[in-house]
Amino acid sequence: MGAALAVDPPPVAAPVVEDQALIDATLAGRPDAFGDLVLRYERAVYNLALRTLHDRSEAEDAAQEAFFKAYRALHTFRSGAKFSTWIFTICYRGCCDRLAKRKRLSSDELPDHADPSAGPEALAELSDESYRLRSAIDALPEKYRTVVTLYHLQGKQYEEIATVLNLPLGTVKTHLFRAKEQLRKALTI
Amino acid sequence: MMYDDDALDRALAALPLEEPPASLHARIMAATVYRPRAAVQQWEVWTVATLAALAMWLTWVALSTPRLGERLVDGVTRLVDAGGLTSLNTLLWLAVGISVAWWLSQITVPQRRRIEIR
Repeated sequence: MGAALAVDPPPVAAPVVEDQALIDATLAGRPDAFGDLVLRYERAVYNLALRTLHDRSEAEDAAQEAFFKAYRALHTFRSGAKFSTWIFTICYRGCCDRLAKRKRLSSDELPDHADPSAGPEALAELSDESYRLRSAIDALPEKYRTVVTLYHLQGKQYEEIATVLNLPLGTVKTHLFRAKEQLRKALTI
Repeated sequence: MMYDDDALDRALAALPLEEPPASLHARIMAATVYRPRAAVQQWEVWTVATLAALAMWLTWVALSTPRLGERLVDGVTRLVDAGGLTSLNTLLWLAVGISVAWWLSQITVPQRRRIEIR
């Protein structure tokens, strides 16, 4: 009877280690802590680079470079700041440098090997609606595309987006408003 | 299909992120925490390069100066004859040079904060 009434304790959620704790541990000499940070953000950083650069190989390089720069400057990271905003800022600036270099080398926006479409694995897992939405985002002008991507990655945190892009808050809201208008038009047609 | 603001937000939030290449994590780790430590520091490279350039310049000066040996011997002889090696000025500059060299040898170059791999 007693056994029948026994109730399993609710599963205890694993404590989520704060980014700052991982940074402190990395600086204290624990490489696995930095590995956890990379695991936490590599996907988002890669997607930001991919949406900005429209090139898979370059996005991979840009993501690696962003983490490398972050690692080297980790001791300068301000306690209390958001690591996601910091790493996105580093990544976005790196992407801007790459875009500027690309424009210097060629008058075209995209290099010959540019691959703006999603990979076959990614396409296979996308629903029709998601596919249309992603295509519509890819067709946006760069400044709108980046804002929408960060809105997607960061959630509705306009201040963080403004910090990453180094734009006034009002400009971010305007860009987002216009981007959404364009997206709506593209998806409604 | 018509998208209002909320519907578009929901669609954006539901849009799956693309998976990065499987090798990306290993590449990042290899470029950061598991990056092999440089055999020489950058300041060491600069010091050696500066000294090498100075040595090259001195060699070039020596080779391009006619009768350099004779001139050196002549100069030292005249300095000794004039009592220059024992003059107060010479001894003063000698003391300054030695003390500067000693102080320089005591300076420790600040090391960049590095993360040791355990």
